[in-house]
Amino acid sequence: MASPPDVRDVVVTGLGVTTAVGQGKDDFIAALLDGRHAFGFLQRQGRRPPAGSAGGTAVFLGAEMGEPTLPESIAARTVRTASLSAKVAMTTLDEAWREAGLDDADPSRIGLVIGGSNVQQRELTLLHARYADRSEFLRPTYGMGFMDSDLCGFCTEQFPIRGFAHTLGGASASGLLAVLQAVRAVQSGQVDVCIALGALMDLSYWECLGFQAMGAMGSHRWADAPAEACRPFDRNHDGFIFGEACAAVVVERAGGRRHPTPYARFRGGGTAMDGTRNPHPSLEGEVAVVEAALREAGMSASAVDYVNPHGTGSSIGDAIELQALARCGLAHARINATKSITGHGLSAAGAVEVVATLLQMREQKLHPTRNLVDPLDETFPWVREKAEDYSFRTAVSLSMGFGGISSAICLERC
Amino acid sequence: MPDRHVFDLIVEHTREVIPELDGRPFELSDSLHDLGANSIDRAEIIMMTLESLSVRIPLVELANAKNIGELADLIHGKSA
Repeated sequence: MASPPDVRDVVVTGLGVTTAVGQGKDDFIAALLDGRHAFGFLQRQGRRPPAGSAGGTAVFLGAEMGEPTLPESIAARTVRTASLSAKVAMTTLDEAWREAGLDDADPSRIGLVIGGSNVQQRELTLLHARYADRSEFLRPTYGMGFMDSDLCGFCTEQFPIRGFAHTLGGASASGLLAVLQAVRAVQSGQVDVCIALGALMDLSYWECLGFQAMGAMGSHRWADAPAEACRPFDRNHDGFIFGEACAAVVVERAGGRRHPTPYARFRGGGTAMDGTRNPHPSLEGEVAVVEAALREAGMSASAVDYVNPHGTGSSIGDAIELQALARCGLAHARINATKSITGHGLSAAGAVEVVATLLQMREQKLHPTRNLVDPLDETFPWVREKAEDYSFRTAVSLSMGFGGISSAICLERC
Repeated sequence: MPDRHVFDLIVEHTREVIPELDGRPFELSDSLHDLGANSIDRAEIIMMTLESLSVRIPLVELANAKNIGELADLIHGKSA
């Protein structure tokens, strides 16, 4: 008699990604391996304070994507009222959906977790300004559009997802928390297939001002050199640099249906709270989540081949993360920093970095780390100026968020 | 006969909200519902029309219009 399938055996069967350095997996991995960035001065309407207002003449650095090429299946009628975050979500989900072949899956057994909260701030700011002195004409769709869960509505109207769909907010850990939640939803038997989507966090100038005022967003030091401003783990970093991004990850029960060859198997995950509402990183929290992920995986630290760190370019955060990795026994694993190329996607980052990890795993190559001229710790085996061939099976990725959130995932090539 | 300007604005905004209707001729007797507008679409079309006219009318006062002609009449009457 065949043994029953292990419901805890969850694999990744589809990926989608949209970033400033490329739309779709092929463009994205090519840009990563080339170290091709898109940093500049933020131009999108609503990302610069109006003249004479709060913030005065502030200009922010970052990487913005071009207009996403929408799938033909998305009707013009749908697009009209979709925010940028919603359009990019549907586009990114479409790529992952098609790769995983989900048209064959039972809609009632598919779930969707959208990582991110308050992701449509720029469009809301523009709307508030537009209707400030004629609020009686505010569009009725605002009543549903202002909620992040509107993205769930768009996505489930566009794709036959009928199990469940909701958002999950965890600041800059949202994307990875969504992946972990999707895994748990499959493991618990709630659904057979679950899509985790790290939503595009569409910052307005208000959030940029706030991040800058609190010292999180760079860059004073590199104000005139946007290409050099984003430098995770380099001694001359001075904060994160924003990068628009969105990623989708399809996870499902291994062998539950005919699915494409998986990218990887989920091995373990960990989440922890530091007990603070502040943005500060915590060595203990980061150590705890890596240890939890390895414990669930039943793996020793020495068995980890590659680390995709949170690595934002934050002065304290980068240093604490390296200490945590060293304390966990991961200082031997090859390491690079995806945000040095993409910028910080905030709510999207954790999902983008799972995609970056798995694309590198499939290629058996590691992408360079831009601007890593003077590493905080030389002893780590960094991938620096050039991409490298690397034969590897196991990876750990970390994501942290304001409010004391730490999270980690461990993945293994199938 | 409803006001032509109001009628044209309703048609313009209906085409904007339901792009599939582009190029289709509109009649006074067309109902937004039958043209494919759901209740949110209908509210959106009416609000866009009111904004174009800079006329403030509570949407509830326009709820009984059965077709575009009646809607144009009502809006025109209340904005006079």
